Formats: sequence, C-alpha cells, structure tokens
Amino acid sequence: MGTLLKRHRWIAPYALLAPGILWLLVFYVYPAFQMFVASFWSGSLEKGFTFSLANYTNYTEAIDQFAPQYLRSIVYAGAATVLTFLIAYPLAYTIAFKGGRYKNVLLFLVVAPFFTSFLLRTISWKIILGDTGILLGPIKELGLLPEDFRLLATPIAVISGITYNFLPFMTLPVYVAVEKVDFRLVEAARDLYAGPWRPGGGIAGALVAGGLAAVLGIVFAWPWPILAAGAALIGGAVGWFLVSESFIRVTFPLSLPGVFAGSLLTFIPAIGDYVNAEFLGNPDTRMIGNVIQNKFLTQNDYPVASALSFTLMAAILVLITVYARILGTEELTTTGRV
Amino acid sequence: MSDNGTTRGLPAISRRQLLAGGTMAGFAAFLSACGTGGTATQAPSASESAAPATASAEPSATASAEAAATPSAEVNWANWTYYIDVDANDQTKHPTLDKFTAKYGTKVNYQEVIEDNQSFFGTIKPALEAGQDTGWDVVTLTDWMASKLVRLGWVEEFNLANMPNFTANIKDVYKGLAWDPEMKHHAPWQSGMTGIGYDPTVTGELTSLSAFFTPDPRWKGKTEYLTEMRDTIGLAMLYLGLDPTNPTRADADKAVAALQKAKKEGIVRDLKGNSYAEDLKAGDAVLAMAWSGDMVQALVDKPTLKFAVGSEGGMLWTDNSMIPKGAAHKGTAELLIDFFYQPEIAAEVEAYVNYICPVKGADEAMKALDPEIAKNPLIFPPDDILARLRVFGPLSEEDEAYFNEQFAKVLGVG
Repeated sequence: MGTLLKRHRWIAPYALLAPGILWLLVFYVYPAFQMFVASFWSGSLEKGFTFSLANYTNYTEAIDQFAPQYLRSIVYAGAATVLTFLIAYPLAYTIAFKGGRYKNVLLFLVVAPFFTSFLLRTISWKIILGDTGILLGPIKELGLLPEDFRLLATPIAVISGITYNFLPFMTLPVYVAVEKVDFRLVEAARDLYAGPWRPGGGIAGALVAGGLAAVLGIVFAWPWPILAAGAALIGGAVGWFLVSESFIRVTFPLSLPGVFAGSLLTFIPAIGDYVNAEFLGNPDTRMIGNVIQNKFLTQNDYPVASALSFTLMAAILVLITVYARILGTEELTTTGRV
Repeated sequence: MSDNGTTRGLPAISRRQLLAGGTMAGFAAFLSACGTGGTATQAPSASESAAPATASAEPSATASAEAAATPSAEVNWANWTYYIDVDANDQTKHPTLDKFTAKYGTKVNYQEVIEDNQSFFGTIKPALEAGQDTGWDVVTLTDWMASKLVRLGWVEEFNLANMPNFTANIKDVYKGLAWDPEMKHHAPWQSGMTGIGYDPTVTGELTSLSAFFTPDPRWKGKTEYLTEMRDTIGLAMLYLGLDPTNPTRADADKAVAALQKAKKEGIVRDLKGNSYAEDLKAGDAVLAMAWSGDMVQALVDKPTLKFAVGSEGGMLWTDNSMIPKGAAHKGTAELLIDFFYQPEIAAEVEAYVNYICPVKGADEAMKALDPEIAKNPLIFPPDDILARLRVFGPLSEEDEAYFNEQFAKVLGVG
C-alpha cells in the first residue's frame, strides 16, 4: 500500500475523499435525485405515479399556495439567527478571552444540552413556557400579565425554541474564530488610539446593537411598539458600554469567518425546521417544514412535497449566495483584514 | 402524522417514540412508493422465536366453535403495539394467544408491526397488487383503511360457518356499514370514541359540541382540536347537523369553514395528536377533542378531567381484523378472529387494552375479572352513548385527497 501510494501519488487525495464522496452519493445525491424525479410526478399512492415534465406545475402550485409559509420560515429562521448571534457572540467572546482555566468546562456546558434528544429539549420548553408554568405562573400570580396571556402557540415560542436549539451551532464557530484572534493586535490597536475612550466604538456598538434589538422588538412585540423602542434603547446602551474601538476595528473583523459559518449553520437548518413550529407553535405559526411533512406523510402527495423541498433548497441557495456576496466570503476564508 | 389513537392501550409509548416512529414509517412508505414492485418486507416467514410457545392454559370457556376448518400449524397476525394482553411476568407472552394454541395446536405468529395505516398498507400493497400472499393471515386496520382494502377487492370473504361467536356476539352498533353491510370482510378488534375532553373546574359542565365553536372566555384560546382529519371534521359535521357516515365534499367545505371561523375568533389554541392529553393535564388546554382511550389514562393523573360524548353525537373509530387476499391460512385466520369473540377471551384482552370492546357479554365477563374496568363508561360505554356514536363514512381516493387538502388549511399547512 505504502509503495503503491508513493508510486501513484495522485491516488492519495481521491482515496481520502472516497468515503465522504461515497457517503454523499448514497445518502444525499441519490435521494435528492430521486426526490427531484418525484417532483415531476403526477398521480396518487393508490393508483401509482407517472413522470412527465409537464408536471412542472407542481412547482408553481408549491410556490403559489405556500408563499406565506415560505416567508414565515425565512423570517423566523432569520430572527433566530440574529438572536443566536446576539447571545452567542458575547458568550463565545467571554469564554475565549475571560474563560481562563474554565474554558473547557464552559465549552462543555455549551454543548451539554446536545446530550439529550432534540425532541425532548423542545418539548421541555413547553413546560417552561406553559400558561401557568415556571415562567408565566409567578408573573401572572403578581398580576403583571393578564390571565389569558400566553407564550406557547405563538411566534415568540417558536423563535425562542429555534434560537435555543441552534445556539451551539453559532457559539462554537464564533468561539473558534475569536479564540484565534491574536491579542497583541488588540493591544497594538489600543496603543494606536483605538482604546475604550474613543467614542467611535461606542457609537457603532450602540447603533448596531440598538438596531438589531429594534428589529427583534418589532418581530416579537408587534402590537406594542413601545416594547420595541425599549429594546432598541437597552440594546443601544449595552452596545455603547461594551463595544470599544479596538473591538470594531480588530476583534470583530477577525472573527467574521466564525460569524459567517455560525449563521449558515444556524439559518439553513432553522429554515427547514418543523419540530419547533409543531410543538411550540399553532396553525398560525406553521413553517414550510410542517407543510412538507403534512404533504409527505398525511396527504401522500409526494410530487408536491418534493417540489416544495426543492423550492426550499433553491431559496436557501439564493439567500446564501446574496449573504456571501454581501459579507465577501473570499476575504473571510483568508486571514481577514485589519 | 399519527393515526387514530396511535398509542393504543397501556402502557402508552412516549411521544418521542411516537414521532420518531411515525416519521420513519412514513418515510418507509415513501421509499416503498418510489421502489418498483418488491415484496412485503415484514412478512414473517417462519420466525421460530417470535411466537409464544407454551400451551399450558386450561381449555377456554366456550367450545362451540368446533372447527369446520382444519387448523394449520401456524397463523400470522399483524397488529398494533400494546393491543393485546400480555403476561404480567413475561412481556413476550400473550395468555389469550396461548389459549388459542392450546385449543387448536396452531402457533400464532403475532407481530406488532403496524405503526400507522398508510405505511403498513405500503408494505402489503405490492403483493396484493401482484395477486400474491402478503405473508399475513390477519391484519388489523382502521375503518377508513379497511374500507379501502375492501373497495380494492384485496380482502378475503369470511366463511361465517367458521365464526359462530363472531356472528352471535358482535354488537349491533357495528353492523350495517356501507362498505361491508353484511360484515363478511371485517371483524372489529377494538374501538375508541372521539368526544369532548374538558376540565369542568374551569369550563363548567359541557354536554354540547357547540362549546368547540363558541368564543366563551372560559375556554377561548385554551381549546384544542385533533390533527386527525376524520375526528375533527367529523365532530364539526355533527355540530353542524351533517351526517359524517356519508361525507360529501360540500360537507367538508362547511365543516372547514366552521373550524376556520373558530380559529379566527381565537377559540382554538392548536391542533394536537395525542399530546392534547398532556395539555389538559398541565392546564394549557381546558377543552379538547379527545379520544376515550387517552382519557382513561389522563383521568388517572388528573381526576378532575372529564370525557363526554356531545349531545349532537361523537365519532367512533374501529380497528378491524381482516384476512388479506391470498392468505395462506384463511380457515385458521377465521378461527383466530372468532376466538376473540368469546366474551371471556375478549374481557381478558380488554383488561389490558382499555379501549372499547366490540363483543357482547364482555362487560359481564369483565365483572369477574376486574369490576372497576367493567364499570368504566369509557371502556364499556352504556347503550345510550353508543347509540350517539357515528363512524366516519368511506371516501373515494379523490375525495379523501380533497378532504385532506381542505383540512390542511385548518392545520395551517394548506
């Protein structure tokens, strides 16, 4: 083997790639192809399906009829991605720079929820968010919320569930990127008047954090603009105090590859997720994943279900491409700019 | 995703398993639809270890069914999980099946392979289509799937001479269904009621289905419907004074309109599978369309809950034993189905399963076995309640697709 590889060096990369390629062929390419074919079927489970290109109408039907659910999926997944970013970044930053000897313990704690099943974690949120559960129960006891106020079966619960479930997917890549940042660069920046006393960082931090908080406030607290305004103010204040010039100019740009990877790892599975919407939402919060599930398993409408899946894949590709263009992946995958 | 009462009997499987199971089963159906032909994969050829082997029980009570058929060496039965009695000391043993073996010398290869109707149908369809033996002699499927098999001509006709207990003891409410008026193709195994599950401490006493459509502050936003199309549409039809035993597309439209209106008015919190029972227990729901079998269990945990069949009526769904076309041991299958129509045997099954028994006299037999269960109206409903129950009528494939599509709107996925 050794000599064979030495004589034919070109084999090595292929040999290394083979298991991965084989895996993808069998478990991704073939099913995807099968599903693509199915999206041009017509017929029924009982009478059998027939293939015809004329059945591209499956796609138009899918898009026409289910535009609200597509849109909802994008909004929910987007909101959850922003939220995971807001929660994960400070978390990853703190672990990387202030974690000290507890780094590994803290990282373990981030991943620890993964030791329980995705479903169990989601269902346990039902207990936390229940109408008289541990969160709302005491608040209602104090009379601060009306009796019929609820979090379960609302978009808030769904987005919170997605955020919680995908948090580690954002935290870990961001951590890896932040951890790699050479702290001497930060010190150099401070020496060069990019220290905490320069207002630029504070202003930028206030604007960005306040803006994000405002968007989330609008998504979450739609009927109460005052809450959205409050969120923006708090976000802005936090940004002002926490963000320094050197962070804006050095640390954050250097950690962007992690943010990019993290947001993709969060957004892509979140947009197709149906478990959170199923367990924590209600008919008004169903996402495209729920539609696909119902089409596949209840209605046995495999053609339209396949078309829906492919449309979703296409939509994700477009969104990701736009996102990558805006953030400029080329620079991100290299060393980044200072 | 789940069929009517996917968690049949006790102990119920967890929702996690339920969801995983449902998803996988559905996926299997998809794959089998993609594949070309193929054979029934789960058919038990001669799995020696699977069937209960001991034959120690005393001879069963009635010996009237002296066989016109010669019992075969084995018979294969596909059923749902937790749907037959088990030995308290050995979960793999089913005492009633052992009694059958003792009586006829037939080994019953009893397999709990049915996860949901549709995916099981996917496994036997290729063989039936090709006119071959599916490997099963008895399959137990829900009304709508049973009627579909009958419609397709894929069910053997019973030789009723082999089935004296069945003809004598089947309860009247089960007779005269449009899809099998003479009961020559299906024999009910277990049933469940769909009615009103509620917490009277919050809602007060409820007797009418109109509660599901009335925006009363006591249950507004705390009302749940079922994700099972035939139950929710069926109850809506009963509320509207329509006849669910003979459903039409116009009825579906009216029912969906009523359901959508109730959703718009904020009455409905969500549509649920079995998990409405958890919500009733937690107080997140105080009114729900509910299955009797689940409520038997929920009442153990929260005794203040109540189950009622609405004055307008309730739905009755049934899983039915049938002999698939081309079954190798048809005569023995008839003996087996008939065996469970002896009241004592039926009561023994019921003591474990806790759904509704279709066998006359099983309640009397149950008094000796467990008087508590015999008194439970959810397991042995009195005649006046039984008379109010309706079975959802058969739908052609096109109509079924239409109903599901309309109902998807109620589910928020249409």
